[in-house]
Amino acid sequence: MGSLLDISRFPRLLPYTEMFAQGLAITIMLSLGTVVVGAILGVILALMRMSDIRPFRALGLDKDGHLRGEGFLTTLSKFNPVAFLATAYVEILRSTPVIVQIAVIYYGIFGIIDLPTFSLFGITKFHRFFPGVVALGMNSGAYLCEIIRSGIQSIDGGQTEAARSLGLSQSQALRFVVLPQAIRNILPAIANEFVVIIKESAVTYTIGVQDIMAVVQSVKGATYLILEPLLVATALYFCLCFPTSKIVAHFERRMSRGNKR
Amino acid sequence: MATNDNVIIKVTGLKKHYNKGAIHALDGVDIEIRKGDVVVVIGPSGSGKSTFLRSLNLMEEPTSGEILFNGVDITKKKIRDENGKLVKLNIDEHRQKMGMVFQHFNLFPHMTVLDNMTLAPVQVKGVDKAAAEAKAMALLERVGLADRANAYPIQLSGGQKQRIAIVRALCMEPEVMLFDEPTSALDPEMVGEVLDVMKQLAEEGMTMVVVTHEMGFAREVGERIIFMDGGKIMEENTPEEFFSNPQCDRLKTFLEKVL
Repeated sequence: MGSLLDISRFPRLLPYTEMFAQGLAITIMLSLGTVVVGAILGVILALMRMSDIRPFRALGLDKDGHLRGEGFLTTLSKFNPVAFLATAYVEILRSTPVIVQIAVIYYGIFGIIDLPTFSLFGITKFHRFFPGVVALGMNSGAYLCEIIRSGIQSIDGGQTEAARSLGLSQSQALRFVVLPQAIRNILPAIANEFVVIIKESAVTYTIGVQDIMAVVQSVKGATYLILEPLLVATALYFCLCFPTSKIVAHFERRMSRGNKR
Repeated sequence: MATNDNVIIKVTGLKKHYNKGAIHALDGVDIEIRKGDVVVVIGPSGSGKSTFLRSLNLMEEPTSGEILFNGVDITKKKIRDENGKLVKLNIDEHRQKMGMVFQHFNLFPHMTVLDNMTLAPVQVKGVDKAAAEAKAMALLERVGLADRANAYPIQLSGGQKQRIAIVRALCMEPEVMLFDEPTSALDPEMVGEVLDVMKQLAEEGMTMVVVTHEMGFAREVGERIIFMDGGKIMEENTPEEFFSNPQCDRLKTFLEKVL
């Protein structure tokens, strides 16, 4: 069982071609599902972090309706519980490993909830696939939130000021002036996050999702080959990620074309 | 008082403090601005002149003091309506009537010149798109930029950008125009074209408050010149008196340096 690469050993993997194909399909489904969950969660979290919900706002005003100076009441008046929750969520998710998060969510949350145990497209079990999507989506949502938020905040404050000076409300300024510019700016970072999702989906084999990495484990056990199935997985992941980043880069160039002279 | 009807903006005891009161950007400013006034504010950097101008449409929130705009104190979060009921003050309504021109133009880069100009009239005032475009074209014609209507801001020179920014504000038919160092970010050869538009506007009777370092403009177009230093108005006078017969020492030294 040498670890040295021997081309002649690859044919021994041929009987497992269909398993690898199914693993590939599951990795793709897992990534697409994660993108959807992550994007929705990311937008919600970003809106929460940038919201202006301050239940104690009135404490910051004196009896004439002017803002008070610095002090405890002013600090309290600026407290935004919604933004606080979202910030806490983002910081916790970004400061812990995905593999830990997946285990905690699978055994913690989905240990209590009983999911139906049907088979998804005949190749994976729903009660393992679904927690995987949720866990990866929750992780990705935290990163997407920060991408969206920094994209919006990277737009020069003068843009909002100009819009507000013309009489546009805060939400109109966001919708017509800030967001169209921000979306163009954050597209590369979002594309990068999608590639990261594909790669990170590999850790879901730890909760029994039958993705590429799980197939590698099975094949390894059945054939006693280690490096060869891993190299097949490497090739498969590369074939997913590399074209994805190239396709997005292509659209990026097309979108920025209208911005030039 | 007969002149009272003409007062558009009345500022009383305006203060703006930063850093727990350690910095007094504005330290008690009082001024009345009447219809048709061309008020030019000059002063050294850090004197509070930009903060003062930006307070007038509440881009900066003052720490204390009053700003009556058409009789309504816009520094208050809540005001009493005609029935005496306490209602939320809608600052957007007041800002529509105050055009503002910024040092760095702040045109919207993702929109054409025409879209820059029609955005607010269409979205805020609900003006018909075609009517807004017709008005924008007429204004562009006036500043000689009608041929750039479909250009993007990146394709314009600094002087062109600032002229567009001025007519963009005019599209909302404001009662007052606020200029925050409109020529400070321009190449010297482009300053003239922007000042010409402002001069034309002043001659048409627009009420203007202009923060600038252009002493020539102040002397020629200004009707009231204000000198600010340390967050206070140190001196106010007619252009002739202001430049030929300055009263306070601080202004004398300032003029010696800039003239």
